[in-house]
Amino acid sequence: MKVSLNWLKRYVDIDVAPEVLCDKMTMSGFEVEEMTDLSATMDNVVVGQVMKMEHHPDADKLWVCQIDVGGDEDIQIITGAQNVFEGALVPCALHDSHLPNGVHIKRGKLRGLPSNGMMCSGEELCLKEGDYPGAEVHGILILEGNWKPGTDMREVLGLNDVLIDFSILSNRPDCNSVIGIAREVAVVLGKEFHGPDVSYKTSGGDVHDYISIKVEDYDLCPRYVGRVVKNLRIGPSPEWMRECLRSAGVRSINNIVDITNFVMLETGQPMHAYDLRYVRGNQIIVRRAHENEPMKTLDDKEHILNPEMLVIADAESPSCLAGVMGSLHSEIEPDTTELLFETAKFRRDNIRRTARALGMRTESSARFEKGTDVMGCTYAMDRALQLINELDCGDIVDGVIDVHEQLPEQRVIHTTVQDILALLGVEVPTETVVSILNSLNLTCTLGEDGNSLSVTVPSYRDDVESRADLAEEVMRIYGYEHIVSTPIDGVIVRGRKLPERIAADTIKELLVGASMREITTYSFISSKACDQLGLAEDDSRRKVVSLLNPLGEEYAVMRTQLISSMATVLATNISRKNAAGRFFEVGKLFIPKSLPLTEQPEELPALSLGLYGEHESFFTLKGIIEMLFARCRMEVSYRRSAESYLHPGRQAEIVYNGERIGVLGEMHPLTAEKFGIEGRVYLAEIRLETLYTALEGQRTFYQPLPRHPASVRDLSMLADAGVAVADIEAAIRKGAGKVLESVKLFDVYQGPQVPEGKKSVSYSLTLRAPDRTLTVEECDKVMAKVLKALEEIGVSMRS
Amino acid sequence: MSIREQLEEIKQNGLRELENFADAKELDNIRVRYLGKKGELTAILKQMGKLSAEERPVIGQIANEVRQTLEAAVQKSLETLKEKEMALRLAKETVDVTLPGESKPLGGLHPLSIVQNELIDIFQSMGFDIVDGPEVETDYYCFEALNVPKDHPARDMQDTFYLGDNLLLRTQTSAAQARVMEKRTPPIRIVCPGRVYRADEVDATHSPVFHQMEGLVVDKGITMCDLKGCLEQFAHEIYGPETKVRFRPSFFPFTEPSVEVDVSCSECGGKGCRICKGTGWIEILGAGMVHPNVLRGCGIDPDVYSGFAFGIGLDRLTTTRYKISDIRLLFENDQRFLDQFQGR
Repeated sequence: MKVSLNWLKRYVDIDVAPEVLCDKMTMSGFEVEEMTDLSATMDNVVVGQVMKMEHHPDADKLWVCQIDVGGDEDIQIITGAQNVFEGALVPCALHDSHLPNGVHIKRGKLRGLPSNGMMCSGEELCLKEGDYPGAEVHGILILEGNWKPGTDMREVLGLNDVLIDFSILSNRPDCNSVIGIAREVAVVLGKEFHGPDVSYKTSGGDVHDYISIKVEDYDLCPRYVGRVVKNLRIGPSPEWMRECLRSAGVRSINNIVDITNFVMLETGQPMHAYDLRYVRGNQIIVRRAHENEPMKTLDDKEHILNPEMLVIADAESPSCLAGVMGSLHSEIEPDTTELLFETAKFRRDNIRRTARALGMRTESSARFEKGTDVMGCTYAMDRALQLINELDCGDIVDGVIDVHEQLPEQRVIHTTVQDILALLGVEVPTETVVSILNSLNLTCTLGEDGNSLSVTVPSYRDDVESRADLAEEVMRIYGYEHIVSTPIDGVIVRGRKLPERIAADTIKELLVGASMREITTYSFISSKACDQLGLAEDDSRRKVVSLLNPLGEEYAVMRTQLISSMATVLATNISRKNAAGRFFEVGKLFIPKSLPLTEQPEELPALSLGLYGEHESFFTLKGIIEMLFARCRMEVSYRRSAESYLHPGRQAEIVYNGERIGVLGEMHPLTAEKFGIEGRVYLAEIRLETLYTALEGQRTFYQPLPRHPASVRDLSMLADAGVAVADIEAAIRKGAGKVLESVKLFDVYQGPQVPEGKKSVSYSLTLRAPDRTLTVEECDKVMAKVLKALEEIGVSMRS
Repeated sequence: MSIREQLEEIKQNGLRELENFADAKELDNIRVRYLGKKGELTAILKQMGKLSAEERPVIGQIANEVRQTLEAAVQKSLETLKEKEMALRLAKETVDVTLPGESKPLGGLHPLSIVQNELIDIFQSMGFDIVDGPEVETDYYCFEALNVPKDHPARDMQDTFYLGDNLLLRTQTSAAQARVMEKRTPPIRIVCPGRVYRADEVDATHSPVFHQMEGLVVDKGITMCDLKGCLEQFAHEIYGPETKVRFRPSFFPFTEPSVEVDVSCSECGGKGCRICKGTGWIEILGAGMVHPNVLRGCGIDPDVYSGFAFGIGLDRLTTTRYKISDIRLLFENDQRFLDQFQGR
């Protein structure tokens, strides 16, 4: 809310520097976004009177003017403008002056004759027609009135002012008005607030002879107040009102329209004026629009309405889109003679939805959306009528039509000074509490016990409901600097992390140790992600939770897998020529329990890994995963899998207790192409619930170190090239039994010396018994069993 | 030559030879020649039988001395030889120590995680439990329970992603407040870090996905002074012990009174600079006393208990901490960006 300091001064005596005021307001809850000293926009520009004009001897179109700028001697200025005349009052930029458009004026010569400054046009002073009559005329701005030559132009244009832009918190819609701000200013400066005069004289007649008003939807319009003014004398507004409007960036139209705008800015209550000629049937009906009802608003735009929207209609069609904008046909015109003034209360969320649906946010709708005071309707109306009197621009018809349902009762809060202060934890003298509340029009009655308090809340402070609100009011005025720091009282407790968080941290720590970088990506992904991965039509990952209002297709669904986010990150890094990368992400998968969504989906923790670079392979990825499961002490197995987005020969699923908990592999070249990835990348995704459980339950007990020596036997064997080493190892384990301490693969070889279609596989077996040294004979027996088990799966020893 | 003279000669010859040998093999030859079973000294000693009973012990002693002298000399030569060989080997094995080591690249946590973990440590040490809440929330927990009724303008402050009738992506970690208060009984002291969502278009300072940490304390007799004490401690940990904390009145539907919390600008020490836009203060979070309606809605009697809550924006804390100019960098995950973060 931008407010002019001069306007504020109409209601409160401000005797501090603007900076001081800004600081005090900020610390009382009205943060100052910006302070603009309008007088800083121009300097050394004064009123000048053209005393004498002569043609330039060397240029037909130039005039040599002698100008009285209030000094002892007239100064000479040369102009090319043709609208100046002797005796005219004009703005003169003197030597070394600055104009609001940024131009710096210095003396100079025009066609050989000295010119000691410049006469200014309205455009050069950044004025619009609404700011100053004649501002948009081609030529020099001719000033109205009897300004004394030499008067600072800032005074003429009302630029000796400071604009302060206050940020208004959403619980204080009453302060979207100059009066609202002025009330607060008065409190922080400890001054009296002087509200405007709202008394007026009427001129007889009866409003009911002019109009009838009916509200069909009290739900959307709890109150509607109408008054009629006749014998309108439409003309320009006085300068003081134009100045106020200009400070708010509102264009001056005529006295009637200006009054409605002025009252809205001053009181925060939007107003509307209808030309009674165009209110057909002499009736106003506040109703929902019909389905597909057309309406042309006064910005000349055609809208199609629906019953969610409220209109103010006459007997035939809408005259106003309630709270948003009037219709073109009922607008006040220069020849309007009778009008209906409207002040009303509309439901804020309804106005918000209408304004949004039609894409038209106005000063009026903005205020209704934020909430207006239902009791403020009559106050604003009275102020408007007082201005009709003051500006003498019409005669007020007797009688008011005030249509409403039950109006709210005045709120009274019963509490105690002690309870208010208990929330704050500071001592504030009772009389200070009482005087602060009173200064805010929160009228207090202190009980005889000096503690109990009943507080009457003014209607415009609908936000004040309880002692907590009163505590805030007291504190923001008393000053938050009085809040001192205290340690929280109570038992000393230890903060705890959830076991899942501890487990996740353990996993992350391990991965960081494996040279991996953690990434963070959005939880919503493209609706096409499943297609990109080539997932089958019946793949459960296609059951996604969709956003109803996504920012775009790219962010349309909650992810059911982390692979596509990881692939995107890999693609980004590869396209930026980063030579290698190891990434991981711990994220949530959003798995709906049913679709369409009727309850919260499951949010399951998962891990994705992604690697690329010269030294990476399926096995570097698998190595990291093996470390991970070793850390979790989980015995997992790997078996071939068939993910569409992975290389069919280089992928495996990770199986734990018979259940698939993850997958790893090289990205399918075709999928890589879809992601714009060049070269080989390796991906894995692992569901983390079982890992979390394993880590949470982990307890370590020391195992005695072996006391007897081990026997190591190496085995080299020939197997069919297609036999998985996992099967060979299983056979060894089966054959060796309990005394096998460990089995380690140390060579796999295919090539010369190995028959076609075969591979050579070498293992080192460590045999040990806990209670004795194994004899050579015992070891031989074990090895014989191993060889037999291997023979059973078609594996023979190399000679 | 007498035996005595012969012994003297063996000693002198032996010592001379031991001063001058080429390698370990020659040294061993010398040793064998003089001290071996078939060596010269042994040969002499075999003649001892010819000596008189008076002479025998005398000569025996001399012979022993010669043996000891030679043995000591051999031992010394052996050591010298070993030292020489060692010196030679070490000299041969010298490497260029400025060659690079065989290391693996450092891994690391995302900067958001680093900052979040730091905050978790601070609050955990202050007795706060670290809890989690669902990211897909019901309208009730995200708004209604937080005193934000359906038509409230506070809903204008945040444009929400909806997933269904009453289901949405939480716009604030405050959504976890009511869930915690329903489940636990006071005293309550929790922080809830997590991911939140708002329908903001992406730009240098906005992201539709971002991170917060909500704090909540509920007990008997909790006051705004406790809130300030708690946040001051937090600010000292994060911004340094000289940091000052200031409250400014604000508005949030779920707290009353509500405040914005500013800290003195760590860049200029509060004098005013470009970072703090000349004010000397930097806004870091919103906080307040838990609104009585929120307490009541969760079955906690506001006449008995009071509490405070605060919400910290982790992304902004991260970008200011590391002087990251564009929030999008956090979600882009360029390796060259991520590689820059190791702890504080």
